[in-house]
Amino acid sequence: MKKIFIAILALSIFASCTKDFTKLNQDPNQISDESLTQDNNLVGSPFSGLLFNIFGHQIEEDLCYDSWMGYMNTPTDFVGNVNNTTYYMRWNVYWNRVYGSVMSPSKKVIELSAKYNLPMFATWAKLIRILAVSKLTAVHGPVIYSSYGSTDNSILYDKESDLYNKFFLQLDTIQTTFGANKDYKAFAKFDQSYKGDINQWMKLVNSIRLRLAMRISKVNPALAQTQGEKAMSDPAGLIATNADNFKVALLGNILPVAQICYQWNDTRMGGVLESFMAGYKDGRAAKMFEPAQSGADPLHPLFPFKGIRNGAFCGTTKPQMLQYSMVSNDFNSVQNRRGFTASEVSLLMAEAALRGWAGAGNAKTNYENGVKLSFADWGAAGVDGYLADNTSMPLNYVDPADSRNNFTSLSIATIAWNEVDSKELKLEKIITQKYLNTFTNTLEAWVDFRRTGYPRIPHVAKNDSSPDWGVITSDQWIKRMPFLNGERTGNTAAVTDAVSKMGTGAKDDIATRLWWDTGGPNF
Amino acid sequence: MRQLRLFIALLLITSVVNAQTRQLTGSVTDSKSSGGIPSATISVMGKSIKTVTGTDGTFTLKVPLGNISLEITSVGHAPKTVLVAADKSEISIGLDPTSGDMSEVVVTALGIKRDKKALTYASQLVTGDDIRKASNSNFMEALSGKAAGVDIRVSNSGAGGSTKAVLRGNKSLLGLSEALYVIDGVPMVNNKGGQPGSYGGSDQGDGLSSVNPEDIESINILRGANGAILYGSQGANGVILITTKKGKSGKATVNLSSSTIFEKVSNLPEFQYDYGAQGSSVYNWSTTKGSYQKGYINDFFQTGINTTNAVSISGGSDKTTAYFSYSNTSAKGVMPTNTYGKNNFSFNQSTRLLNDKLTLSSSVMFANELSNNRPGAGYYNNPLTGLYLFARQLDFADYKKNYRVFDKDRNLYKMNWYSNEEKQNNPFWELNSDTKFAKTNRVIANVKASYDLTSHLKFEARANIDYSDKVFDNRFLAGGNSVSVSSNGAWAYSKYTDQAIYTDGILNYNNTFGNLSVSAIAGASYQKNTFNDGMNVSNGGAQYTLQYPNFFTFANMPYQVVFNQTINNSLKQGVFANLTLGYKDMLYLDLAGRNDWASTLALTGNQSYLYPSAGVSAIVSQMVKLPEAISFFKVRASLSQTANEVPFNVVNPMNSVSSAGDPTGNGSISYNTQVPFRTLKPEKIVSNEYGAEMRFFKGKFGVEFTYYNDLSTNQFLTLPAPSGSGYTSYYVNAGKITNKGFELTLNADVMKSSDFQWKTSFNFSQNKNKIVELIAANPNYQVGGDDEGFASIIKAGGSFNDVWIYKFARNATGQIILDGNGVPTKAAKQEKVGNVNPDFLLGWNNTASYKNFFLSVLVSGKFGGVAFSKTEAFLDSYGASKRSADARASSTMPIDAVQGTAKITSINPVVYYSAIGDRNKIMEPYIYSRTNVRLAQFVLGYNLKIGNANSTIKAASVSLIGRNLFFFFKKAPYDPEQAMSTSNSMQSNDVFGVPSTRSYGINFKVTF
Repeated sequence: MKKIFIAILALSIFASCTKDFTKLNQDPNQISDESLTQDNNLVGSPFSGLLFNIFGHQIEEDLCYDSWMGYMNTPTDFVGNVNNTTYYMRWNVYWNRVYGSVMSPSKKVIELSAKYNLPMFATWAKLIRILAVSKLTAVHGPVIYSSYGSTDNSILYDKESDLYNKFFLQLDTIQTTFGANKDYKAFAKFDQSYKGDINQWMKLVNSIRLRLAMRISKVNPALAQTQGEKAMSDPAGLIATNADNFKVALLGNILPVAQICYQWNDTRMGGVLESFMAGYKDGRAAKMFEPAQSGADPLHPLFPFKGIRNGAFCGTTKPQMLQYSMVSNDFNSVQNRRGFTASEVSLLMAEAALRGWAGAGNAKTNYENGVKLSFADWGAAGVDGYLADNTSMPLNYVDPADSRNNFTSLSIATIAWNEVDSKELKLEKIITQKYLNTFTNTLEAWVDFRRTGYPRIPHVAKNDSSPDWGVITSDQWIKRMPFLNGERTGNTAAVTDAVSKMGTGAKDDIATRLWWDTGGPNF
Repeated sequence: MRQLRLFIALLLITSVVNAQTRQLTGSVTDSKSSGGIPSATISVMGKSIKTVTGTDGTFTLKVPLGNISLEITSVGHAPKTVLVAADKSEISIGLDPTSGDMSEVVVTALGIKRDKKALTYASQLVTGDDIRKASNSNFMEALSGKAAGVDIRVSNSGAGGSTKAVLRGNKSLLGLSEALYVIDGVPMVNNKGGQPGSYGGSDQGDGLSSVNPEDIESINILRGANGAILYGSQGANGVILITTKKGKSGKATVNLSSSTIFEKVSNLPEFQYDYGAQGSSVYNWSTTKGSYQKGYINDFFQTGINTTNAVSISGGSDKTTAYFSYSNTSAKGVMPTNTYGKNNFSFNQSTRLLNDKLTLSSSVMFANELSNNRPGAGYYNNPLTGLYLFARQLDFADYKKNYRVFDKDRNLYKMNWYSNEEKQNNPFWELNSDTKFAKTNRVIANVKASYDLTSHLKFEARANIDYSDKVFDNRFLAGGNSVSVSSNGAWAYSKYTDQAIYTDGILNYNNTFGNLSVSAIAGASYQKNTFNDGMNVSNGGAQYTLQYPNFFTFANMPYQVVFNQTINNSLKQGVFANLTLGYKDMLYLDLAGRNDWASTLALTGNQSYLYPSAGVSAIVSQMVKLPEAISFFKVRASLSQTANEVPFNVVNPMNSVSSAGDPTGNGSISYNTQVPFRTLKPEKIVSNEYGAEMRFFKGKFGVEFTYYNDLSTNQFLTLPAPSGSGYTSYYVNAGKITNKGFELTLNADVMKSSDFQWKTSFNFSQNKNKIVELIAANPNYQVGGDDEGFASIIKAGGSFNDVWIYKFARNATGQIILDGNGVPTKAAKQEKVGNVNPDFLLGWNNTASYKNFFLSVLVSGKFGGVAFSKTEAFLDSYGASKRSADARASSTMPIDAVQGTAKITSINPVVYYSAIGDRNKIMEPYIYSRTNVRLAQFVLGYNLKIGNANSTIKAASVSLIGRNLFFFFKKAPYDPEQAMSTSNSMQSNDVFGVPSTRSYGINFKVTF
């Protein structure tokens, strides 16, 4: 009897206790949706994170396009000096950053904006998605966009031509919505780029439209011109002054390239950039880099900066290469990074003028204005003399640590604008200056390089490309990054479909050209 | 101290004085060995007067006037009843040992004592004396080799370090699969702190080091879930049951013990000191011999000393008993500046009231542990990297003396070292400027009431609290390595408490109906764990610099740093029942079941789950007439199902503040982007075991064999969600893991005469683990991935702790492919090269005594399995290994290789060794066999003869102790059991861990 009594007693105690289970299984240090509804934080607070994750870090940027474009290179022989920098893919993670930290949380923002009737936040989130996905597609080609959030077993990738159409249509809607809510104030608390000024965001919308239009100027000239002219004629205007520059807050993080350089000793100035900047005696170099240390003789005494070749032979030479130029010490304390500058816009307009797009103005004026804006933005002096220099050319590069890394400069561009130059040479000058300006937002330079072939950079010193990820022949450069292994195995049908969407003969490798990478002359 | 003494004295004072009694003193001895029998129970028949003998077999009892009958019982001896005449005040009783018929009482789950022959599952008892024999400060270390089927790894981080003990293989993919530890029936908290990885870190210990070996009466190991079902899901990985010493009625006995153990590193890698580095290179690849400093690596390590002094007092009346102990451990490690100190207090008492129907007992154990600079492993902030890789041509003595130099500009000291590599530091800077401090205070307290409702029915209730607070404080001074320490220094601090509250109530019924015996229990338990309740903060090494250099306080943290608050809650309630039916003491049926309600499964609808077990055992030797030689033969079989709960807060997590933001705030919120999982189920383990126990020649020789077969399903796994799904991760219940194996124990009394006794036992076991399936829909799914050239990968078709590494690239005929420069190339993909877990475990334990001398010898062996050494890989690529010097001396070394189509038979050693090893180049040469057989323990002692029974000193002994003395056999160039970490994925992987050590010392024991 007693046994039964106790058992019943015990059971009744438990029955009442299990009610607390739900609460007990929650982490009190996590914040609920309900609590976040205060001050609109629920929809607003993820924005700084969404923006931050448009960019990558070491394995997305520094060991990929920073290196491929010769801005920076690593002295560390990661995975036995056979890695992304030498065209053998070891890291491929930007995709996960975009889907995990931009697309997924922005999906929730869009849903919650509908729930709490804050449609402007959904519009804003959609713009940030374009900023991120337009970068991601420049890495892989087809990407998941219009089917995003699908519950289907196979989630299809968008064909690139469809994707750009979709971007332009969405930019139309975004601009219309912003235009109707120019006085909207609710972003201010969450917007560390423009402090909630919708007019500034509208300038970014036009500028991104111009950037994307120029990307497709060779593969679809008509659409490119339509969209480019639309961007340049929209009354909201473009990013025109450095005060308009789109900057993304680092949220207290150290600028990745500074962290990789100063804390991890895994990156130094690129030898390609050294070749260009030393040749041009470029005043921006001192704002971007520290002089090389005593162990590294740059061999050009007036320009005390030294870099490492793209795809360099390295390893045992690391101690010596660590003496090469670090990024500027000031990079350690910056609070934001460049996302879109007035200089880039001006140089885009210089190219638009060359292409004869209406509203682009004069190519020379835009070119020189772009360089002036860049010097001002980087805080460098001497721009007038620089623009007048019609003789300086990039130098040949010599690596004191390993002569296998030496190269002969391929560039034929000087600085000064010359109206009698061919369009190709003019474009080479424009893109070369775009290249020098866009340091720390280097994916855009990789896009320009594949699209136009400028600036003329050397091939990698060490080419480890192989049939595993695709062979890059000795006269070529890396064209794209493969789709992710996780997608290849977990979303196989869609990846197969995506490869077919890249055109006949396309492979999911690093040698297949993207849609807008047509090769051939630019005009 | 005086107050303490008074307190103890008061506790020991007899509480009941009865004029109607007389005093009886006596001794209980083994009729064969003539030795005193401790813990024998003496009770007056027809009365509720009882006592227990002390360690020397003596007792004192107040008995009624007149003639009385005494009943004497003792584990391992036949019970006896003796008449005591009214005028007798002293009595000597001899008991016959009964080891032959296995009438042994063992402690099983929940502290319930059971007749061993009725058990339907495997259990193995190790006595406290056996645990203490070699003066190990960690009792689990002492258990290694002494019980079958227990794979024990002790961290090489020295005293206070963590332990990994796995019984019958890994069963849970994301969990630890480690055994549950139970003290006197109550689960004990054993949370493992952080472990070093490839990049660095140090062992933050676990809950085992705080247990005082001195307090252990015995340890019973229930290897399978079958024996542990009453603990529910926590017992799914087997249980280690610790029974602590209790007070004995009779005259107070005082035990003193003191041990001093010296420790020296053994099995250091083989270094070269002849070739230095050229220029500013950090690689010792000069081919010109020089005359350089030698031996500084050996000299770097010091002799460790571990001193333990312990006192225990036990005593009581026939109504009340009490036990008190204090122990102090003070150690310095083999790594300079490493120290460890521990204080243990323990007190328990038990009182019988209400005509002895009610027993109230209580116990408190307190432990305080302090450790400084517990050595770590890995690349960062590890003194051993700089020590081992040092450029030989440089002046080590100078770097030792001037390990820091004054930076005039900053007005502070900075590290003085020749290399700025991320993994290299001046070893003396590391020791002196980077301090690691850990502190734990722990109390385990409980009360228990036991009431005899009738002579057959007993009710027990227990409440226990296990509470500890922990502080970890690691400081790295400004001016150190720029990759791992910020310019103003680095600080990692955490402080938290672990609390476990446990209560249960159990009804216990025992009766006999003719030939049928019934033993039944029914009960309920409540367990609330609040772990990791506290905070941690770190400026991330080099990531964010402190505001002001070398000042370690919260106010000095830079704004970017997030102060993390942590907690891990779980509440589990269970009801359980167990019924054992015995027929004629020869056939037993055991049925058990338990239902748990677990808070970690809230909202899933699966928070309540039931699991049963059933077993039978038959004493064949009592059923049929067996040959004379077979004195006991039992067969048993049991089948059980248990479940593992899932971790805290995975069903429905919320959002988090993910960063501190810029100087004006506005840290971003990270939404939870996990797919809500409302169908989560507990992990399930179905376990079968079959065993036989036999004893021969009147118990002189015994065999115990168990075969088991475990199947784990419903594994809790986390998967990345498809990129396009809108989520980032989801959980599934999937997988199928099997563990099959056997355990064999052989015991023999080789020699048993009055002068010379020799007992030997073999423990032999094998476990085969197989991952049958993980995610059926995704056969390539794996847990774990490449960790700097070494991958411990769990995937379908493989087994736990499979090792994957990069081998040489080879052509179809197996020749190494050289590139255009004649350099060996690396295979494109990692390949499985083995599994770290041994095929067989062996322990051979011997105890012998000759007159007053006693000897204990333990040989332990592990057969099969692989071990990987990143340390050796680095030594080769840096030209610091003896191997690389020997090869250089002859300037070429043989190789079976091809370059293009040309066959290559020799290679320049510099080219060869520069191409392999290092962080993650070709790792094939650094996979070694784990097979090793060692002399694990050797103890030689002398028991002092105590001439006079009335002497103050009742017993005394002195013994010499050696541990891990030498290898009979070993293939690896280092000790493959060396454990830099006790985590799952880093098993048998060494990345600049502390070398294993050899210990020797002396122990004194005195009993008053």
